Amino acid sequence: MSTPAREMGRKDASFEREPARRVFASELRECRYQFKDGEDEKSPTFVLLPTGERCNRIFIVGTLTEKQRQGEQNIFYRGRVVDPTGTFFIMAGSYQPEAMQQLAKIETPAFVAVIGKPTLYRKDEASTPMVSVRVESINIVDKDTRDLWVLDTAERTLDRIEAFATGTGPDVLKAKEQYPTIDPVTFRKIAYEALAQIKI
Amino acid sequence: MDFSEAADRISRKFQKSGQTIDPKKIEGKLRRLIEEFSVQPSEAERSVINELAKEFNIPSMGTGGGSGSGGTGSSGTENKKIADAAPGEWVTIEGKIVALAAPASPAIAQGGIIADESGAIRFVAWAKANAPAMALGAWYRIESAVVDEFKGIASLKIHSGSTIKEIEEDRTLMPTTVPISELHPGIGSIRAKVVQEWDASHERMLQSGLLGDETGTIKFVIWKEPGKESLTPGSVYNIFYSQVDEYNGRLSLNLNTAMIMQEEGDIVVSGGEATVSGAIVHVAPGSGIIKRCPVEGCNRALSRQNYCPVHEIQPKFTYDLRIKGWLDDGEKTHSILLQRDVVESLTGISLDAAKEIAENNPLGMDEVFLQMRDKVLGRYITCHGREIENRVLVNKCERVAFESGKHTALLNRAGGAS
Repeated sequence: MSTPAREMGRKDASFEREPARRVFASELRECRYQFKDGEDEKSPTFVLLPTGERCNRIFIVGTLTEKQRQGEQNIFYRGRVVDPTGTFFIMAGSYQPEAMQQLAKIETPAFVAVIGKPTLYRKDEASTPMVSVRVESINIVDKDTRDLWVLDTAERTLDRIEAFATGTGPDVLKAKEQYPTIDPVTFRKIAYEALAQIKI
Repeated sequence: MDFSEAADRISRKFQKSGQTIDPKKIEGKLRRLIEEFSVQPSEAERSVINELAKEFNIPSMGTGGGSGSGGTGSSGTENKKIADAAPGEWVTIEGKIVALAAPASPAIAQGGIIADESGAIRFVAWAKANAPAMALGAWYRIESAVVDEFKGIASLKIHSGSTIKEIEEDRTLMPTTVPISELHPGIGSIRAKVVQEWDASHERMLQSGLLGDETGTIKFVIWKEPGKESLTPGSVYNIFYSQVDEYNGRLSLNLNTAMIMQEEGDIVVSGGEATVSGAIVHVAPGSGIIKRCPVEGCNRALSRQNYCPVHEIQPKFTYDLRIKGWLDDGEKTHSILLQRDVVESLTGISLDAAKEIAENNPLGMDEVFLQMRDKVLGRYITCHGREIENRVLVNKCERVAFESGKHTALLNRAGGAS
């Protein structure tokens, strides 16, 4: 199932859309390392998760708690999406007009599903990088979808933690090198707490 | 690579026009073009001839060769099996013309496919080669042609230095068919069933779709040309000498040059039932309510202006529902296509309700798209259907339900070892 298609080399492989990874806010917040796969201008950019997986795109479901319009000439919207573990910072600008209009339309608070691209940025040279999610699509969903997402994300996170413990893949090794102070086992606890918040 | 033969040939050519040119000089020019500038051998030869013709003020030299260059026969190139002809080589082959294609450009006099027992290869005769036209079904000996490669596909270039002789042969050539999974770019013969017919994406396209056999499926296309007929979906065909093209790492068949014979019998096509589960992460344009061409057997999606790529404006279209999108499980993204009844059950919007919206809402068909997108985007669903060419044609789907058993198992897994 999980044969890494990228090992076939981009040139030969037929087009494969980058999957949307499932990650909790508290793990995404820890990302500090971003890289390009390939020399091309159009090569995809990835953020490396501390659990040792690259992500170019993520799928998150949470509560949109705040949104605000910013900018004068170049209008864009910022928003905060909260999951059981923390907060995602999302933004949609005029390059994503559909996503921006969707975000403009949604009244807070609301359960939302967001598909977007994580990117690292710094306020200035000295500050620590922040992760924000550039929205490709955003849509109002129900609580059932949020609960399904927590299950899904907990499962994927646990899978990654297990793969990290025994793994020797390049992304796992890179994560060990880039995040020497982070023990992925902490994300197991976070996954547990997220799951425990779901009331049956 | 041996340049001296080509250099001698060019030198002899100029001798006839009364110019003596040192073959060494010609060889140097050829070598420079081919080795330093990676020019194709046939192109290099053409360019050297033209350059020298200009230098010695001999008009029409480049086009005058071909039939007149009887001297080349003595060069003694060995006959090659077509299957052994490798790009970059000068070859002499004997084969049968199994297909002729309309020239794609005025620079080309004739193009097609020549075959022997070992295989088949595309050929192109340049207009400037002044080569005699070859007839379909006849056998020829082609001397001093150049094999080159374009987009990974070998082809035989007949240029002004090549000679063509018709030869007496009445061998019957029976191409061997190969499994679809073993096709490679060039020429291929298969026995396959038409498993799908697609909307024509171009007005010059007669038909496109999917052919399948026990080993896999492949896209095919037939371009409009006099005498070309569509294939019948569900029927089995023997397809000989089809062009196998490669684009983005994926193969497809261009059947315009192929010999196609319908056959009795059936093939169990591989490309089985698939079940995929995940979140809908994208709903593509072209989803929602669409108009289809009412012409019998067409059913293509019409443009907003009711234009069918084949049957032009069709004001008496029929409506249909579909959703095209991406279903993502976090590891892999599947392209999905939901058919009408699946769309109706997933969105709760029936075709009649969608029609009502399309005809009465100021946003029209866009409103249907938006309403459907809002109902499915970001939702978890499980789809069942056939997976063909990385796309799942969904004939049944349901929303994923929350399973408390899974919840408990995950709690145990997350809490267990800590």
